[in-house]
Amino acid sequence: MLSRVGERVFWLARYLERVENTARLVNVHTSLLMDLPEHNEINWFTLATIFDAKDAYFERYERVNEYDIMYFLLADPSYSGSLSNSILALRENARTSIDVLPEILWEQINELHLLVKGELSSVGNRRRRQKLLLTITEKCQCVWGIIANHMSRNFAYDFLQSGKFLERVDMTSRILEMTSMLVAETRNEEMRQHEGILWATLLRSLSAQQMYIQVNDSSLKADKVLMFLITDNRFPRSLSFAMNALGNYLNYLPRAESVLQKQQSILRRVQQYDVRQTPAETIQNMMDELQVSLTELNAHITSNWFYPDFSVT
Amino acid sequence: MKNMWRDYDPAGFFDELMYSKHQPRSFSYKLLDYFQGMQNEAFQQRVNESELEMLERGITFTVYSDAGNIDRAWPFDVIPRAIPKQEWLRTEKGLKQRIRALNQFIQDIYNEGNIIKQGIMPAEVVYQSKGYRPQCQGMTPPHGIWANICGSDLVRDQDGTLYVLEDNLRVPSGVSYMLENRKTTKRVFPELFRLLNISPVDAYPERLAEMLTSLRPDLSNPTIVLLTPGVYNSAYYEHAFLAQQAGLILLEGADLQVGADDYVYMKTIHGLERVDVIYRRIDDDFIDPEVFRPDSMLGVPGIMRSWRAGKVAIANAPGCGVADDKVIYAYVPDMIRYYLDEEPILKNVPTWLCRKEEELEHVLAHLPDLVVKPANESGGYGMLVGPHASEEKVEEFRLLLRDNPENYIAQPTLALSVSPTSCGDTIAPRHVDLRPFILSGEAIYVTPGGLTRVALVEGSLVVNSSQGGGSKDTWIVDERPVEEED
Repeated sequence: MLSRVGERVFWLARYLERVENTARLVNVHTSLLMDLPEHNEINWFTLATIFDAKDAYFERYERVNEYDIMYFLLADPSYSGSLSNSILALRENARTSIDVLPEILWEQINELHLLVKGELSSVGNRRRRQKLLLTITEKCQCVWGIIANHMSRNFAYDFLQSGKFLERVDMTSRILEMTSMLVAETRNEEMRQHEGILWATLLRSLSAQQMYIQVNDSSLKADKVLMFLITDNRFPRSLSFAMNALGNYLNYLPRAESVLQKQQSILRRVQQYDVRQTPAETIQNMMDELQVSLTELNAHITSNWFYPDFSVT
Repeated sequence: MKNMWRDYDPAGFFDELMYSKHQPRSFSYKLLDYFQGMQNEAFQQRVNESELEMLERGITFTVYSDAGNIDRAWPFDVIPRAIPKQEWLRTEKGLKQRIRALNQFIQDIYNEGNIIKQGIMPAEVVYQSKGYRPQCQGMTPPHGIWANICGSDLVRDQDGTLYVLEDNLRVPSGVSYMLENRKTTKRVFPELFRLLNISPVDAYPERLAEMLTSLRPDLSNPTIVLLTPGVYNSAYYEHAFLAQQAGLILLEGADLQVGADDYVYMKTIHGLERVDVIYRRIDDDFIDPEVFRPDSMLGVPGIMRSWRAGKVAIANAPGCGVADDKVIYAYVPDMIRYYLDEEPILKNVPTWLCRKEEELEHVLAHLPDLVVKPANESGGYGMLVGPHASEEKVEEFRLLLRDNPENYIAQPTLALSVSPTSCGDTIAPRHVDLRPFILSGEAIYVTPGGLTRVALVEGSLVVNSSQGGGSKDTWIVDERPVEEED
């Protein structure tokens, strides 16, 4: 497989996962805000914080309000992390690796692009926005379904899965980081009343609520929720599961040793995280550190397979 | 509401589907009956469906303009163009004859040069052609075939005679649109295929892969790649489509390098891997900066060295564009007689060579009635269509011809045939041509039909997609009755 094509499908999967996670997160967050009293610490800006986009936001907007935050995160062509730009990048990566992908996959991604292009002007309208975000999530799931059922287990598949799980660990860690800060002990009385809603939201934003309830009970306790999302070995969006799955797919690729070493060291660290009775700040540091390691791992993958030194014949 | 076909009138042009205003041809009777029987709204709905279909499948081409590059949905007209099978078989034979002669010609001029020695063609016509590459002298590509993929343009005149307008031998495009057009017609008008016996077209990708494989008879499983100039090329969609359908590896110049052993290698996740056959969609000029244009960023330095050493096969072979020259075109009938000892089955458009004194005088005297073409351009650029040109334009060409007569040819303005085309809320005649694709390797394969291009602007003769042309599905119809299914 060409190095360039490997890179394109790897990023195709990262963007696909990012688009799905972003759409779900924004959707769930909107419904959370409907349940919370106004003027509390969780607001529209929380979303920008999760994406590390504080500075980028204030370079473009003066005030924080629903419309500007939504436009910024979903439609702003000048912000590289906006959902619409992720979809453009997704489409471009698909367009340039079309020869290794099932034909219908390209059609679905192109339809997603057309759909979003046509609906972007409506992000200010809550009802239409929520509907659009749901449709986007569904389209992404459809694409993953095509990959699962129509693609041979070849290197392109392995790069897709690697990209997906790497992106997933990153996103899960960001959401965990933010949520743990919000429910820290130092928060006020009023917020503590809503803790249950917050934990449910956290689980839903990672599509984890039902699976959590099945192994725990329906009482949502901070420790249990966090441990589930970090260490559960059977839920595919937990840090531990996703990090482990990433290793499985990297392992299929040629000359993977050095990359696997890095992946294994991150996995071990994740498995050792114990967040019971841990102050929120510590969790935040853990997640920050994890995100830095993920960036390093991505760089390893890039130099090992996409841009190795080809000068020797 | 009035029927969209009621005022249809080919107005003296040869119509592909009609004998006259209201009289369909024998092979198009059922087709027209079907369309004419449709309610306007129902028809319009199918048109919309087909547009959505093209858009959703991302079938686009890139238009370059001052305002930036735009990806446009491929303009597709839903009313097919039909050709009876009997006529087509003869055309197919003619195309095979022509490509055999053209390949023998290219092989000859890069080797013995007999056609020149025998005085059939003047040496300067060949050796001064822009497409002639001295770097190819002495080469014999696999099977002696230089033009492995050819897309000839056929047009019909007022009386219905079919002519070869040009032979596109360098990097002809359009075959993916032929395949996509058929796919769209099948999705939008599935009923039609029960009424008529229509030759399928979908064998092309497989035949392409077979042909490319045959270029390395020494290898049982050669690695075949498609070399594209990249995502900014107007035909990128086609490159990706063909790679996907034929199982070729789609890559760009930067993915390749030539080793010290003169083999071509591609950069893979395993390291460097050898490439055996290259289907290139890059012009000669850009293919190897060591040999041709040194400023080319698209090609692969050293690839000509590798090709000359027989370590990689390239389709089409470098240098084959010489036979794409419009001056050389005029000699194709002579080539057929000389190399094959046969009479040409398909006609050339009568062509005046401006390099000949008396023919130039004739051209200058009749300039406003003629089409003047530069010898070595494609895509309809740099030409004069006398009857449609302003006086200044005609005078501009008069000067060009006087200054540089060797570089031009002239042809009569053909009254191109028309075919019924959906134009807004009515059906109107529009001019069409036909581009069949011919594959030559160990064997020769001709697509059944090809890509029909249509000039969507009323009265226009320009069918190029870069200049407002559209396309139609093309049917080779067998007039024997369709066998009834249970």
